[in-house]
Order: sequence, then structure tokens, then C-alpha cells
Amino acid sequence: MMSDRLRAFSGQIIAVSVALLMGAIIIILVGESPVHVLMTLLRGAFGDQEKIAGTLLQTTPILICGVAACIGLRGGMFNVGIEGQLFLGGFAAAWVGFTFSLPAGIHTLAALALAVVAGAAWVAIPAFFRARYNTNEVVSTILSNYIAVLLTSYLTIFLFKRPGGWSETPPILATAYLPEIFSFSRLNWGLFIGLLLAVGVALIFRYTSWGYGVTMVGSAPKFAEYGGVNVKRQGFVVLLLSGAVGGLAGGIETLGVHHRFMEGFAPGFGFDGLIAALLANGSPVATIVTALFFGALRSGSLLLEVDTSASREIITVIQALIILSVSAQVLIRRRGDSQAGERRWKF
Amino acid sequence: MVSNAPGSPTLHNTAAMAVELTAITKRFGAFIANDGIDLAVRRGEIHAIIGENGAGKTTLMNILFGLLQPDEGSIRLNGEATDVTDPAAAIKAGLGMVHQHFKLVPSLSVADNVFLGMEIRRHGLIDHAAQIARTHELSKRFGLHVDPTERVGLLSVGIEQRIEILKVLVRGARTIILDEPTAVLTPQESRELFQTLRSFVAEGMTVIFISHHLEEVMEVSDTVTVLRNGKKVATRPTSELSKDELVRMMVGRDVSFARRPRAELQGEVILQVKDLWARDDRRLPALRNASFTVRAGEVVGIAGVAGNGQTELAEVLAGLRPASHGEAWLKGQNLTALSPAAIREAGLAHVPGDRMVRGVDGNATIAANTLMGRQHRAPWSRGGVLDWKAIGQNAGALIKRFDIRARGASDTVKRLSGGNIQKVVLAREFTNSADFLLIDQPTRGVDIGAQEAIHDEIMRQRAAGRAILLISVQLDELAALTDRILVMFNGRIMGEVAGDDADEDRIGMMMAGVSPQLEPA
Repeated sequence: MMSDRLRAFSGQIIAVSVALLMGAIIIILVGESPVHVLMTLLRGAFGDQEKIAGTLLQTTPILICGVAACIGLRGGMFNVGIEGQLFLGGFAAAWVGFTFSLPAGIHTLAALALAVVAGAAWVAIPAFFRARYNTNEVVSTILSNYIAVLLTSYLTIFLFKRPGGWSETPPILATAYLPEIFSFSRLNWGLFIGLLLAVGVALIFRYTSWGYGVTMVGSAPKFAEYGGVNVKRQGFVVLLLSGAVGGLAGGIETLGVHHRFMEGFAPGFGFDGLIAALLANGSPVATIVTALFFGALRSGSLLLEVDTSASREIITVIQALIILSVSAQVLIRRRGDSQAGERRWKF
Repeated sequence: MVSNAPGSPTLHNTAAMAVELTAITKRFGAFIANDGIDLAVRRGEIHAIIGENGAGKTTLMNILFGLLQPDEGSIRLNGEATDVTDPAAAIKAGLGMVHQHFKLVPSLSVADNVFLGMEIRRHGLIDHAAQIARTHELSKRFGLHVDPTERVGLLSVGIEQRIEILKVLVRGARTIILDEPTAVLTPQESRELFQTLRSFVAEGMTVIFISHHLEEVMEVSDTVTVLRNGKKVATRPTSELSKDELVRMMVGRDVSFARRPRAELQGEVILQVKDLWARDDRRLPALRNASFTVRAGEVVGIAGVAGNGQTELAEVLAGLRPASHGEAWLKGQNLTALSPAAIREAGLAHVPGDRMVRGVDGNATIAANTLMGRQHRAPWSRGGVLDWKAIGQNAGALIKRFDIRARGASDTVKRLSGGNIQKVVLAREFTNSADFLLIDQPTRGVDIGAQEAIHDEIMRQRAAGRAILLISVQLDELAALTDRILVMFNGRIMGEVAGDDADEDRIGMMMAGVSPQLEPA
């Protein structure tokens, strides 16, 4: 008899394989060789040390957003608003970076702290309505994304625009930079923060009383309620923490990579993070692997248009196929759970 | 398709029996859900099938409707031997089933839902006008008031049920099975449903009606079949039955437990309940004016047919449901003002009736399940950090002490048998050093061997001076274990009998709502 964990793992592997196979068929249909595309992708992602650093640079925000999603999933909350929290966190960090002048290190910490607060504050609205009125957090967090993206655009263009052509804020002071790891890449300490966060969150869920209660709220809410866990409060707290980490992801992206806030500065990292977390079954440590996978796809795709006749949009198609097959796989696995089916139906 | 609608001429069949089931047996693993059941339903009658939860009612109807295949036995519909391989075959034979859980598309209109999968077409397009007209006509004819153009997502459960019934009618059903139809209805809606059912039989149709509510069965049915533990007890005309006869057939007289010997050791009052009221999920009063006490070293039983307020009482005492009025004092603290966590802190241990939903997380390990409720307490947790080694060792010790048949503390709970899952719950709750034990249906779905072990453990807790409230639908269990038995009916405590004098006739009368001659205590 296979253990549940093994079954879930093999299910994900099968789902990804099916998606890649379908991707290969599409590549053949557009008249390219799948093998050639795969080799180009691998070369683009891992070909030399600069490419590897580029892949890790893409991996960092996906990983941190993925950890944010994992926190929500553990407590049974679907935070689909990480993208918005990332934008607000990114803006908040930039604002601290170009407005204040503080000693190095302290400036970085202050900017990251405000990014965390901004992310948490942004999700606090849907979280409050969820806890108080049981509104569906999926819908409200999705909607909050649009407001966040447009709000930061507004702030950038109308209130804090740098003189000149681009829609971006003034650059942050060098004292607020996250240090870079190599001289040849913008890869920065954000990666270490992400790795520490993934391992730390996993340990907190496994080894603290609080983590135990939250995990039970996510997997068996009525049992948790019976055992004295305050289900509503923990749901609120979990969403808040998830949003805080989402904000942190934006802050790290601003302080480590762009050194300013630009309109549309981080397209899709929040959503990629959510997918990475789902693919990892909500395990923060497994999210390290899945985030790397998505980071490599993103970074490898840069070479696609140069070296092959396939468009780099093919990567978006493959990602979409992965989402579809992973969701299908989860549904098939829970087919026996009619209650889950009914919940989905009513939704 | 439309020509199959009720009232229009279909297959002429003059057989007197709409449904005949012979010696139906269905096993799920070692569990026998239906054990050689015979059932004959006359054409044109309302036939109620009554029994406690788990008596096998739904399984039997699922077999009749082709959702399950029997291991043994045969089915005749309208006098002809029929192999009901799937619901499509059942529908073709003129059967229709309204399930407990509705399957409607919320974004479509009522008429679109009714005709889903068998749309009326005109020039290849859906003829909405005809569908609406037909839905309207049927709903008027049978008193199933709906607005065919309204969207289903906006409607109440009661109306959703009417739509389900219309779906069945449109598909040409002449024999309609309803699985616990009143469970989701208000009393007013139930009365309207009964009117509809009577209009069906007035048109020569047949109704099979599953329920565990005596009142309804007495009110609406012509014939009653009682099931108990997967077996048929009897089929009788409703007019020849009284309510307490029906109760006794449902709960049974079979005594499988001897009364446990005990020493008198009644101590101080641990739980005092005063004028307690509560509402059910439909916001209707379900617990009415309950007052009683439980002392240390005493087992007080709550008897009653399921659904007469016992669940609500247990949930209020555990803090899982608000009281609408009244008080419950546990060692000087008013429970109605406390959270579930605070009530546990005040000295409650709770074995919930709905074991798989409330009692465990089936996907978690035994060790993780034994931690619930004490995850903030030493020695399992120090400074908020869990000591999984200690938790695992403790779980291992509990597995030994409570004789839980598992490979080890890291076994997933859902892999265990029902009895062993219940032992996991008991092991956790009975070792919390709580003064008050609230135990709801401790042996439901548990095999005989494990039942004895669970009873042993309850008596051990009594001997240790715990105050115990034992809710059970099994009279023999109450007679074996309790010092006093309170009988509930329709949310009220009808009366009290001594545990060593558990006269089944008297308890049965009270369970059926007849007041005892003596003053209730």
C-alpha cells in the first residue's frame, strides 16, 4: 500500500509529465523539435554560471511568493492576492528607500519591514471579511490584485514619478540595497532569505503548538474547532502572515534587483509562486524545488527565441498545461471525497 | 421524452406491487449493510422506511435505484423481474429518486434545471417557452410552487427540493423514492411536501419515503417498514401502529450487554444544567428547557431517538453551539459564556458523536490525533515548541493501554477500523484528567469486542470519580452503564428512570413523546 505522501508525490510527477508531453506535441505542431527546444531551455537556464545565476534570480521571488501561498494553504486559506501584496510591498520598500536616509543595513531592514507591513495590511481587508462575514477569500483576494497593481501605478505616475520618461520612482539610496552575491549578476541575498524562510516556515508548522493548530484548521476544521482552536482567528492570522510574506517578496525584488519601483515591475511572480506551492502540495521545502523549476523555465525561455523558431510564449502555454493537469490530478485523487466535491460545486 | 410525463399513458401494467425486493443482501467489506431484506411496496401507497442512522435505509434504496448492486437477492418492478444495473435502467422502469444532497446547476433557471439533459427542442434549439410552460403546469398540478424562470442559485433548500422532485416527474417516474426529504425542511415546508406526496398517490403514483422521524411517518404514510442493523424488523399498516410500538421496533429489545456492577460513590455536583435552550442549524428550537445535574462518580444517560435534541445538547455543553437561553455550570463556571478551549480548560473531555468529522483528523497520524486539545500543555509543548518524541511515546503507550490495533503511533488514523478510531478518541479524551466526560454514541459502528472494551473504560472512569454524561440511542447500552437515564423527545427531557430499573416500555413511551405518569425529576 502506497503512503499518502508518496501517492501525492507520484501524482504531481505524472501531472507535470503529462503537461510536458502535451507541450511537446504543441511544439511539434508549430514545426520545431521538442528535443531542440528542451536542450535550448536547459542551456538557457543552466548553460554557464551567469545563466545559473539568472535562473536563481528568477527563482527567488517565485520561491518567496510560494512560501506565502504555502502559509495560506496550510491554514486552509487560498491567498490568490500574493501578486497584489508583492506590488504593494515592492512600492513600500522603494518609498522607504528613496525617501529616508539611514545607515546601510538599517535602511534595508526598515524598507523590508515596511514591505512586510504593507503586504499584511493589504490582505487584512479580505481577511477581515472572511473572518467576520465568511466571504470567499479566493474571490476577494483576486480582486484585490487589480486594485493593488493600479494603485501602485497611480502612486508611481502621479505622486512619485522620477523626472524623465519612464513610469518609475526615483532610485533608492545605495544604503537600502540588498547585497549582491556575485559580481556578474544581480542575484542577491534575497535568495538566502527565501531559502531560510522556506525551511523556517516548514519547521514552525511542524514543531510549534501554533503550527499544529493551524495545520489542523487547514486539514480538519471541525476537529480543530472541537479541540479548542479558534478557527476564525487562525484563518485571519494565517492570511495576514501569508500577505506579509507576499509583501516581503516585493520588497526583496525592489531592494535586490530593480533598486526603484517600476510600473509592472514583477509580472506574474505572485501567481507563479501560488502554482509552485500547489505543485509542492503546500510544503514550503518542496516549493524550493518547484520554484526552481518555474524559475528555470522563465530564464531558459529568454534563449528560445534566439536559438529556435518557437516563440517564448510556448513557456506560458506549458505553464498553463501544468496548472490544468495538476488541478485535474488533485480532483481525480479526491474523487472519493464527495463533500469536497460538493463544496467546490456550491462555490 | 415529454410523452413519458406522469398522467400520460405509459406502459400499462396492472400488477399490484410497484416494487418487490427479495432477500437483498449487501456487504461492504466485513460490514453487512443489508441482510436478506424483503420489501414489497403496493402501487398507489406512501410507504415509509424507518430506522436509526446506519440501519441500512439509504443502502437499500440505492440498490433499488441502481446506484449499488446487491450481493444477493432480486428485484421486481411492476411485477416484472428487472435487473437494475444503473440509474438509467431504474428511470426507464419508472423509478425516480430524490437524494439527500441536491444536484442542481446554480447558474441555470428552474426550468433549465428540470429539463437538463432532456431539453425540449424546436428547430434544433432549446424551446425555453415550452420548458417553462411544462414546468409551470407540473408545479401547479402537484402543489410544488416554483417560479420556472428564477435562477436556482438564489433559491432556498426547500425550493431546491421541489425542483429535484420536478426533475423526477419530468423523467416519467411513477414510483418516487425520497431519501430523508424533511431533514432540510422547516415544519411548514414539510407539511407542504406531504400535501404533494398525497397528490401523487391520488394520481395513482407510488411514494417510498425514508425517514427517522416518527411523527412524519405516522402522519403521512400508509405502510411502514422498520429496519434495524441492516435487517427488516416488520412491515405494518401505519393505522395499526402506535408511536411507542414503532420506537420499540426501531431501537429494538435485543439486549447484548449485562448491567455492570458498581459501587455507590456519588460525590459533589460537577455539571449543573439549568433551563437550557438551543437552536438547530435551521434556527429552529431543538433543545427546550433542559435541566439536570451530573455528580462525580455518576453515569447519567440520555436516551432518545436520534434527532430529538441530543446533538444540540452535546454541542452546547462543548461550546460548539451557542445556547439561546439558560445556563450550564461546570464546577462553578458558566459554560455558555466560554469558548471550546476555555471549556476544556474548565474540565471537559468530549467524545463526539460524529467521530470522523469532529473526533479525528483522518489524514493525520495517531500521534498527531492524540495531541489535539493539549498542544499547548507540558510535557507535549514547552515554550510553544512541540516535543514530538514525547508525543509519540505517549501515543505508543495509549495504543497499548487502550488496545488500539495499529502498526504504531505514526499510522494514519483513517486506515484503522471504526472501533479502533473510536479508541483513539477515547484514549485522548480519557487521559486529559478532566472531571466531566461528555460521551456521545461511544459504540456506534463499532464491533462487539471493541464495544465491551469501551464500556470497560467508561466504568473505569466512573470508578475514578469522573462525572459522565452518556448519550446513546442504544437502550441496552444505557441500561448496562448508567446510574440514571433521562429520556429526550422533541428537545425536552420527558422524564427520568433509574439505570437499574430501565423499564423499556416506560422509556419507549417517553421516547415516543408520551409523558410518564410519575413526575419527571
